[in-house]
Amino acid sequence: MNTAPTFRGGIHLPDHKRETHHPIETCTLPDQLVLPLSQHAGTPAQPCVAVGDRVAKGQCVATAEGEVSAPVHASTSGSVVAIEPRPHPSGRALPAFVIEPDGEERWATDLTPLEPRQWSPENLKQHIRDAGIVGMGGGTFPTHVKLTLMEQHSCDTLIINGCECEPWLSGDDRLMVEQGDKVLDGADILRQALGVQRTLIGIEANKPEAIALLRHASRKFDAMEVICVPSTYPQGAEKQLIDVLLGRQVPSGGHPANIGVVVDNVATAAAVSDAVRYGRPLVERVVTVAGPALATPKNLWVRLGTPLRTLVDQCGGSREEIGKIIVGGPMMGQSQLNLDTPVVKGTTGLLLFGSQDVSLREAGPCIRCGRCIAVCPLHLLPATITAYAERGRFDGALTYGALECMECGCCTYVCPAARPLVQMLRYAKAEIITRQKECLT
Amino acid sequence: MMTAILSLGAVALVAALILGWASRKFAVVIDKRETEIVAILPGANCGACGFAGCASYAAAIVAGQAKLNRCCLGGNDMIVRIAAVMHMDAHPPLPQKALVLCRGDNRATVMKYRYLGLRDCNAAQLLADGPKQCPDGCLGLGSCAAACPFGAIEITVGDLAVVHHERCVGCGRCAAACPRQVIALVPVSAMVHVLCRSHAKGAQVRRYCDTGCLGCGLCKKAVPEAYVVERFLARVDYDHADQAAQAVAVCPNHCIIDLAVHQLEKTEAQATL
Amino acid sequence: MTELLLILVSTVLVNNVVLTQFLGVCPFMGVSKRLDTSLGMGVAIIVVMAIASLATWLFHYHVLIPLDVGYLQTVAFVLIIASLVQFIEIMLHKTSPALYRALGIYLPLITTNCAVLGIAVLNIRKQHSLLESLAFSLGAGLGFTLALWIFAGLRERLELSAVPKCFQGTAIALITAGLLSLAFMGFSGLVKV
Repeated sequence: MNTAPTFRGGIHLPDHKRETHHPIETCTLPDQLVLPLSQHAGTPAQPCVAVGDRVAKGQCVATAEGEVSAPVHASTSGSVVAIEPRPHPSGRALPAFVIEPDGEERWATDLTPLEPRQWSPENLKQHIRDAGIVGMGGGTFPTHVKLTLMEQHSCDTLIINGCECEPWLSGDDRLMVEQGDKVLDGADILRQALGVQRTLIGIEANKPEAIALLRHASRKFDAMEVICVPSTYPQGAEKQLIDVLLGRQVPSGGHPANIGVVVDNVATAAAVSDAVRYGRPLVERVVTVAGPALATPKNLWVRLGTPLRTLVDQCGGSREEIGKIIVGGPMMGQSQLNLDTPVVKGTTGLLLFGSQDVSLREAGPCIRCGRCIAVCPLHLLPATITAYAERGRFDGALTYGALECMECGCCTYVCPAARPLVQMLRYAKAEIITRQKECLT
Repeated sequence: MMTAILSLGAVALVAALILGWASRKFAVVIDKRETEIVAILPGANCGACGFAGCASYAAAIVAGQAKLNRCCLGGNDMIVRIAAVMHMDAHPPLPQKALVLCRGDNRATVMKYRYLGLRDCNAAQLLADGPKQCPDGCLGLGSCAAACPFGAIEITVGDLAVVHHERCVGCGRCAAACPRQVIALVPVSAMVHVLCRSHAKGAQVRRYCDTGCLGCGLCKKAVPEAYVVERFLARVDYDHADQAAQAVAVCPNHCIIDLAVHQLEKTEAQATL
Repeated sequence: MTELLLILVSTVLVNNVVLTQFLGVCPFMGVSKRLDTSLGMGVAIIVVMAIASLATWLFHYHVLIPLDVGYLQTVAFVLIIASLVQFIEIMLHKTSPALYRALGIYLPLITTNCAVLGIAVLNIRKQHSLLESLAFSLGAGLGFTLALWIFAGLRERLELSAVPKCFQGTAIALITAGLLSLAFMGFSGLVKV
């Protein structure tokens, strides 16, 4: 199979994809669903139903607040029993709806399918916004905002991201294999919403089945091409994918829009198709449940708001003492305090590790081996930036481009001194941004 | 011999004349008060006043852009002397010391998760609001100690910050560096303090801390005028704290301490370092 | 002309005033924490050295020698350099406040600097002509600036390294200076002096 040339940097990880490459099953309905108001990058949504109200599946329960925001929809029918701070994957307690399901799965009728003759870019954008669709690869940036950003820049290409470069995760892969037509249909709708001609679908070489199926199915569409890209982490990062597919570099501090590209995940494309064809807002997603401590790894269709415990129970529970719970992929995912946190729009996976798998090595001093610099896909100097951050010299960290970092974790993965490089980079970024905000006010 | 004395003397005289002439010819008017204030200021150039050093603070005072009490090193005498130079009334503030309002070291409190990252409280606070179950307790990773220009703060083996009052000048830099606002500036004269700042309800505090304030109000019952209990947290009213020490014994969680008596415990903390 | 150039190059690199003659180590250690301040100090030293060398050369050959009081050299030079620096400071303060703010704080440091006095004395001892002594002092000033600048860069990097506690501060700075000095020994084959 021909693969595109790779980008500079990155690492090759044991991908563990075989362990999880199972057909998608449906997750059971839990006793309680917890739907956080903040499931996307941007301003949290505003509740538009009250405690005690009965809601239907797909009914909008919180509206988008401001431009960069997305509404939240009930993921099953039932009644709202509380709106209160609940554990959120970020580790904080954030306001959330608590919904007690009635088991009827009664669909709401507020969002109707959009007829193909109504498919103007404006209508599509509004519809995608109303359906609460955000980037489902984990970034959770509201999709309609990406489409709006394009109006200020002239755009020529839509890229659909089917790389799924994180180990273990196989939800996108299964989605492409099982619902490839829906993915391509969503991609075509997104293309029309953007008003561009060309669609490129980038899939990593370790998913031959998905590549073959989508190649075959994509012949129905004009100017749509499925490209096999090398399996290198982080191939699924949008800057790296654009670099490999088009040879264009996103400028420092800019968006892909600056170079005329929009990147959307395959799961996002499938959700767009569901919203436009069937009038179904984003209420469920595929989650890969895996990890060495889990009894039987599975891919599950999960209603948003389902507590992680329900997923683990359906996968036969843990087979050893749990040492670490990660939501998302092992490289960029977030460690969780317990299994009470809910699945949100950006939850790509749930990984359980045993206490033996967790490294408790104390960080040593930097030995200047330069491995972090060799693997950084953004061509930064993690060792230098973190040395500045460690000493509170955030001016130096900024000079060396701390804000460019996307926290892919390659540097921490290869560091022989077990230094928490990503944590220091995040800390530096947070401090720089707070200081810049203080300067503005 | 005479040649040497005369020639060197002549050179010195010429140089002196030239310099004298130059200093008049090229004189730059400097406010006399500025030099006087620089002489009064401690000259440590610590920057705690918020200016680049003692000289720039003095310039700011003369320009009327800074208050007289920004320097915490020199004490009240210094403020009175600067006020005399400036022909202003001195309003020296009560001298203050920093105090860590938490006794929950790692033996007394429960952790949320095991933290292995950067030894910096602000960095740890970004990860799920810090590794301690108590949302208000001292994280003990030493951001305050790093910020202190006088080396007055040390971290005990139990991961708790302790202020050594003999070195503390009350500049408040540690309080600004703390992400959880655990450090407060208290009057130097006050001896009795409530070492907790958690407003959580008693039952909740019990779950994660053996030495947090439960808000039970026993201290207020014992000495009503000296204590204020608001939202499940007691604090000492430092204006009426004469009898406050009587309540130390009644506190069920031992979070009220009398520094006059508890010197011993503090040195124990030092000894473990 | 070749002679002058040779003097210039050899004083900058081969006989570097700080790193091989160990003169002016005090400002070398003191004002080398930041690159920008080290450059300011360097410029101030070049100016003072050049002017002081000229003044002391003239004074030596036109006052001390005719009066036959050559043994007063050191005392007289200190007097002259001190008054000269003071004079420059006063002038700068009035005429160019911006330059004064940039260089002014370094001037008092140079007044009693052994590098400045040392160059003045060496000029006499090596029996330089006026032009040669100008080249010599300019070279020494440039050499000082170069050493200070490199050293400041090293120390900025050093700030980011995990230095063992017993070496922190002046100790590691002196070790670094020693290594830099060793490195400059590599220039010894460059010019035959």
